[in-house]
Amino acid sequence: MWSLLSVAAALFAAAASAVSTGGSRLLVVLDDVAEKDTYGQFLGDLTARGFDVSYETPRSEGLTLFHLGERKYDHLLFLPSKVKGLGPNLTPNRLVDFVNAQGNILLALSSTVPTSTSLVSLLSELDISLPIERTGTVVDHFNYDTVSAAESHDVLVLDAPSNVRPGLKSYFEVPGGVLAFPHAVGHVLGAGPLLTPVVRAPATAYTYNPKEQAEVLDADDLFAAGQQLALVSVVQARNSARVTVLGSAEMLQDKWLDAKVTKVGGKSVKADNKEFARRVAGWTFQEIGVLRVNSIEHKLQETEELNPEIYRIKNDVSYAISLSEYSWDKWVPFTLPEDDVLQLEFSMLSPFHRLNLALTGTTEDAAVYGISFTLPDQHGIFNFKVNYKRPYLTYVEEKNTVSVRHFAHDEWPRSFVISGAWPWISGIGATVSGFVGFCAIWMYSKPVGKSVGKKN
Amino acid sequence: MRFSVASTLLALATVASAASSWTFSDGTVKVLSKAGNDAVEKFSGVDRVQNTLTLGHQDKLKVTLTTKDGSTAKRPHQAFLVVKEASGLEAPFPLTVKDSGKGTVEISQKDLPVQLLLSQEPLEASLVLASFGSSKGSVTPVFDFTVKLDAATSAPSYEKPLRYGKLAEIHHIFRADPKNPPKIVSITFALAVLATVPALFIGWFALGGNFTHVQKALGNAPISHVVFFGSIVAMEGVFFLYYTQWNLFQTLPAIGAVGVAAFLSGTKALGEVQRRRLAGER
Repeated sequence: MWSLLSVAAALFAAAASAVSTGGSRLLVVLDDVAEKDTYGQFLGDLTARGFDVSYETPRSEGLTLFHLGERKYDHLLFLPSKVKGLGPNLTPNRLVDFVNAQGNILLALSSTVPTSTSLVSLLSELDISLPIERTGTVVDHFNYDTVSAAESHDVLVLDAPSNVRPGLKSYFEVPGGVLAFPHAVGHVLGAGPLLTPVVRAPATAYTYNPKEQAEVLDADDLFAAGQQLALVSVVQARNSARVTVLGSAEMLQDKWLDAKVTKVGGKSVKADNKEFARRVAGWTFQEIGVLRVNSIEHKLQETEELNPEIYRIKNDVSYAISLSEYSWDKWVPFTLPEDDVLQLEFSMLSPFHRLNLALTGTTEDAAVYGISFTLPDQHGIFNFKVNYKRPYLTYVEEKNTVSVRHFAHDEWPRSFVISGAWPWISGIGATVSGFVGFCAIWMYSKPVGKSVGKKN
Repeated sequence: MRFSVASTLLALATVASAASSWTFSDGTVKVLSKAGNDAVEKFSGVDRVQNTLTLGHQDKLKVTLTTKDGSTAKRPHQAFLVVKEASGLEAPFPLTVKDSGKGTVEISQKDLPVQLLLSQEPLEASLVLASFGSSKGSVTPVFDFTVKLDAATSAPSYEKPLRYGKLAEIHHIFRADPKNPPKIVSITFALAVLATVPALFIGWFALGGNFTHVQKALGNAPISHVVFFGSIVAMEGVFFLYYTQWNLFQTLPAIGAVGVAAFLSGTKALGEVQRRRLAGER
């Protein structure tokens, strides 16, 4: 079954002609189709990578996300648009349906344009909150671009992000680079495990409403400050569909992709926005960080039969799972991030074993992780379960059910090898020989005393 | 959430001391306590408060100061008192600043996030002053304080949010194998049991038991006696084979065959024994 699946997956990958595992139909929603020229490089790069890009405005009549119940597009890119709501075709409900149907969404926000209420509602569905007035500008009086924002401090220059915690893939890390965030909108994340901040604001940054709070920031009206404020965050739904919130749409514009920026007290350097934008779009549209399970094999050690349905308690078994990772245009062997492990659970209701799998071999496009272990001394219906859920990687949840039986009556050690049974075995021997001896004496004994007495 | 910003903040603070920059004067921190441990400490841009203050559950911590751009009193856009825990977790408290630059902020325990309340180390408060334009901002660590929770109520708790990541390994703990007594004990008792067999035979012989009539019996009914006694021994042999290698379906026909032989030969052999008894020879 697994080989069949992997063949199907390979065929599917070939049909998609090496673009994204999620498909190539990309819809860009923007205020005015002519506006796409300001994002020329970024969108051109997407087209060059094989995406089939369509452009629509929220006002256009024929805009639908679904046709006869099927998704019309695989990916959505929202660029800032001035309309307050996005209209009946892009209600938050439709957008959630789109995500539920495994569509990916990249939301680019800008503080110069109030965010549409549809998008604000979509984000609140995902437990991401924006400032209430829909226009919040993130400023940092300590990390700004002294060339373009000497007075207003609203173009943030940050060191390229490092992962928020260890054990994650380094998709968004650009070592040694700086990023420019012009006119960014900050957002605050809920506590859910599906949300991961990619770029957080520096400790001295805060968000304010330039219209109402230009002079005084009232103590009670502070939305968020410091590292609580995220500039770029990613969400991966339970079906592995992806939603990315990019706080600054302008960083995708041509003029900011390779812009020269100057930090406070620093030198003029080229921002790495282009590389970062490529990775953000690539991740969102499932070009990187997509995992595929090629095969799962479990067997009794020193036998050839694969994936039997039944084992016995205390059997020595080996387990192997083959994983591939999609990297831009091809499948490559999946390597674990540093400080992370792939774990196998052998579970009945709760895990009896949770073991770290070791890399046992790699081929051109797959890596095999495996382990050998002894089944627990408990019979029942068990699962070999690999539950590999990590931020940035599509979820792997593989369950193979097997029965584990107890010892059959003829699989126990014989009583003669158990030293404690020897007195009992010799007791049987004594009884048998005593019985045979008794029979012989009973039948063949000559009555000594009596017969002698009679004869005398 | 682990952020290590203290060093960058300090570095920025030293940079910010050049040219026109945001500073403050008349910095005072007061603990307004109902329990009677009031404290007043003064601080400035260069002198932080040396003593660690204590914030009880009914106390208020009040910070007052005058913000200055260079040497003129002025209101900055950003005036935060940032309270930081040892792990790097921060909570900002904006100051209410008047046009004249007079700013105040009050903190009580209910304003602090749970994680900060539960901190074992003293919390560090620093002052962030900055605004638009070219004046440089400043970040000044000003005082430390510890939180003294209300002993009468249970300490606040919070549940660590779920984060996908590796989990602790689990290795099944197997039940212990069954144990045997020392072999020497088993052997001793096995030998003691086996020793009863010779003891039994010696006892029988001492009471006058013997096999003297074997020849007579074989002379009277040779085939019956050989077959009958042989079938008794053979039955024990069948049981032995059942114990070592046979299954029940091999054993039952063998028992049947041996049983029939024993029955047929037994009637004759035991008849011979009866005749001897009637003849007074038993």
